Amino acid sequence: MAALTPAGPMAPVTPPAIAAGPGGRAGRPRRIRVWRGVVLLVAAVYFLVPLIASFTFTVKDASKGFTLDAYGQILSAEGFGKSLLLSLGLGVATIVVVLLLTLPAMLAVRLSVPKLKPVLEILCTLPLVVPPITFVAGITTILQWGPDHLADTPFFQTIIAAQNPDFPVVLVLAYVILALPFVYRALDAGLGALDARTLVEAARNLGASWPHLLFRVIVPNLRSALASASFLTLALVLGEFTIASLLHYQTFPVWIYTISGSQAQVSVAVSVFSLLITWLLLLVLSSAGARQRSGS
Amino acid sequence: MAALTVATLTAAACGSAPKSDTTTASGGTGPSAATATSAADLGGLDKLVEAAKKEGQLNVITLPPDWANYGEIIQAFTTKYGIKVNSDNPDGSSQDEINAVKTLKGQDRAPDVLDLGAAFALSGAQEGLFANYKVQSWDKIPDGQKDTNGAWFYDYGGYVSIGCDAKKVTTCPATFADLLKPEYKGKVAMNGDPTKSGSAFAGVYAAALANQGSFDDIQPGLDFFKKLKQSGNYNPVESTPATVEKGETPISIDWDYLNASYSKEFAGKGVDWKIAIPTDGKYASYYSQAINKSAPHPAAARLWEEFLYSAEGQNLWLKGYARPVLLPAMQADGTADATLVAQLPQVDGTPTFPTPEQVDKAKAALASGWGAAVSG
Amino acid sequence: MTVQSPVHTAPAAAGGGSRPKKSKSWLATVPLLAFVVLVFGVPLVIILGGTFTREGTLSAANVTDSLQGAYLTALLGSVKLSALVAVVGALLGTFLAQAVVTSRFRLLREAVLTASGVLSNFGGIPLAFAWIATLGNSGVVTSALGLDSAGWSLYNFWGLTLVYLYFSIPLMVVVVVPALDGLRPQWREAAQNNGANTWQYWRHVGIPVLTPTLLGGVVLLFGGAFAAYATAAAMVGGTVPLVTLQIANALSGNVLIGHENVALALSLDMIVVAGLVMAVYLPLQRRSARWLR
Repeated sequence: MAALTPAGPMAPVTPPAIAAGPGGRAGRPRRIRVWRGVVLLVAAVYFLVPLIASFTFTVKDASKGFTLDAYGQILSAEGFGKSLLLSLGLGVATIVVVLLLTLPAMLAVRLSVPKLKPVLEILCTLPLVVPPITFVAGITTILQWGPDHLADTPFFQTIIAAQNPDFPVVLVLAYVILALPFVYRALDAGLGALDARTLVEAARNLGASWPHLLFRVIVPNLRSALASASFLTLALVLGEFTIASLLHYQTFPVWIYTISGSQAQVSVAVSVFSLLITWLLLLVLSSAGARQRSGS
Repeated sequence: MAALTVATLTAAACGSAPKSDTTTASGGTGPSAATATSAADLGGLDKLVEAAKKEGQLNVITLPPDWANYGEIIQAFTTKYGIKVNSDNPDGSSQDEINAVKTLKGQDRAPDVLDLGAAFALSGAQEGLFANYKVQSWDKIPDGQKDTNGAWFYDYGGYVSIGCDAKKVTTCPATFADLLKPEYKGKVAMNGDPTKSGSAFAGVYAAALANQGSFDDIQPGLDFFKKLKQSGNYNPVESTPATVEKGETPISIDWDYLNASYSKEFAGKGVDWKIAIPTDGKYASYYSQAINKSAPHPAAARLWEEFLYSAEGQNLWLKGYARPVLLPAMQADGTADATLVAQLPQVDGTPTFPTPEQVDKAKAALASGWGAAVSG
Repeated sequence: MTVQSPVHTAPAAAGGGSRPKKSKSWLATVPLLAFVVLVFGVPLVIILGGTFTREGTLSAANVTDSLQGAYLTALLGSVKLSALVAVVGALLGTFLAQAVVTSRFRLLREAVLTASGVLSNFGGIPLAFAWIATLGNSGVVTSALGLDSAGWSLYNFWGLTLVYLYFSIPLMVVVVVPALDGLRPQWREAAQNNGANTWQYWRHVGIPVLTPTLLGGVVLLFGGAFAAYATAAAMVGGTVPLVTLQIANALSGNVLIGHENVALALSLDMIVVAGLVMAVYLPLQRRSARWLR
């Protein structure tokens, strides 16, 4: 495989017409383009129609016809900014912690201790199968140790501080666990495509130190996977409802659920709105990243 | 470096619990609100109001604004006493309330007062989670509808009812037997799964009563819903205002006070919501109030209960189409608002209630039999 | 072989000198392992404790109860649903990802990738309502196409599968795109130079390279579908037997009291099922990745 990667000596041999992607001979691209178009069309219909159905429900009013009242109510509702900022803060903290924990570990496993790979794989996929309700049942039992058993020890304040409603560290911890399976998969796919061993060897042979290696060699090559992992985590935090609600925190998804109350159209409008906001946020972040990439 | 940050953070957040200081009511040597078992213990209602205003806040939980008019009740309480009400998790369940009491113990966010299903109030009292408190109108609450020590007491209740959108359904069903008619194909829904939702459980119990079952025997109810599912009339979607407005669940089996409050709400949305209490299966149930033993605002909690059990509070529940527990007594001494009583959904006869043992038995039968009944 | 040794004798981390670095690099895994053991393992142990307690005494009655009757039906139902969603979702997700990755328009790729990240977390009541509004008994599409008279119902196993795919396919897209990015064009060129057509390229080069990621995606999708609950609760209630519904009803409901430990036992069953899936997956993955190393 290592022989295939250097682009140098091989490239001039190939006729320039057969390059990556859709360019190329006349017959094949048209077939590919048709097939791709069909797939994208079917996907668009499948994903967009339910959203459109939800949206039409929110803007229909029996007397007024089309109206955006429901959306106006969201923005003016109390707690919108506060809960959104809290969720964003939690998201950023989760991303930082989860990447700091997983990347070095996965690199080490790939490079020098491959025997640990199954262990890592199992540990990082297990959180998927434990339903959040059960996980919270375990967490709340631990949190109850605080007032029940640890009241006279220094750990009491730690447990209370971790539950501070202004920035609940306990939620960050829980979200890191929840994000692990996705981050692991994304990084695994990225590392697999990377041939880390060769890169690391080459860099070490050229005298790179470990931090330099990590940040200037590995990370730039893993951009797509890291971006994937970060966006998945951010979307997870911005959409996670069960744990935050069972632990009584007003994160954005919980706030959404609370303000909709019994007003049907507002509750549906709120979920459509949150989808849109999250998507726009991610889009802005990803194109900012892309611009930075192409700039440098 | 990461380790250092973590260490400093943990060090900053270390320390044992502050020695609990029971906020003494005004008047140094008197008993504190946290252990008061009645307003008299504190020296009268006025002293209680004083202590509560000093606390300034009240934490309530799982009180949706449109459930038995709680929105207006909370507003009235705040206006009358100037105490801020923090409403947590309005769509939570009774189990969530018990969990919140246990998890948030010792924190400012813990719920002060609870509104629970009767079975949960019973088990919570057995676990010692509640404070004993008897409101001033304690004696007017019928026996059997309160705990002898004051750990819990019924607050309001209602009958199982069938709500129906007259705009989408030509003739609205009036009995359980009606629901099996083919014209209601795909239209009959409940407010969730009976193993999770209290009103759906009551719906199955009522169906049992309508089909020669009894409080001891919920099986006919399960059989009824099996028939309903097989005929295609049963719609498994959880009926919410959204699904009703969308037209997906034009018939919804739910508490009568909930269905009744929806008709006001839906009037402007193109839905003509009618309520009927099925004549063949009448099942009523009450919820219970309880005070958290380690409530962070004990005086405000007790004042809240006094407010709810005053004529004003009970009439506000009446306004939400619920039947408050003091209704018979209030009708006798004329404090019940007659117009509000008149607008309650019509039902004749007085309700009988199953014993806790019968309810437990029914729940067990339901838990093991519901899936098999409706997944066929 | 000579290529391998520089790794082992390369200059070590700060202070290591000429000592073989291999003995120290496993330390990089310690923070992660410690974190998972603490934050995930301790609650799990507590759950285990609850599972094996009945009325205050150690007993396996909860576990045996959880494997009988309605609970067993629910467990098997969940496994069936999740397996179907995982396989179908993985296939469809890969096709979609390939269609997006090979597109010329950068904006399309970014838009679809970010939308996939968002949609993979879209679930619960909003998702249920969106589908009820579309294909429910009075849904937009149902009325437009007259499906209700044809006996269509969304509220069964197949309808639930359709809805579960809504968050599974995007997840697969997000997971598989980095791997598709890693399929270098040079390999395609080399294959074409050797006379392979598209099908042969995929069969001998593309799919084998992708297989570890594909398998990983299937496992991820299985886990996600297995643990999902709010959507099913809002849409089908108890009519489709699912284990997560049983757990939620016992732990966070308005009806059942005292069944918490059976719910914990059911969670243990879920973990065991996941373990079985991993036990099948790991050797498969090892075999498929062997030649990639």
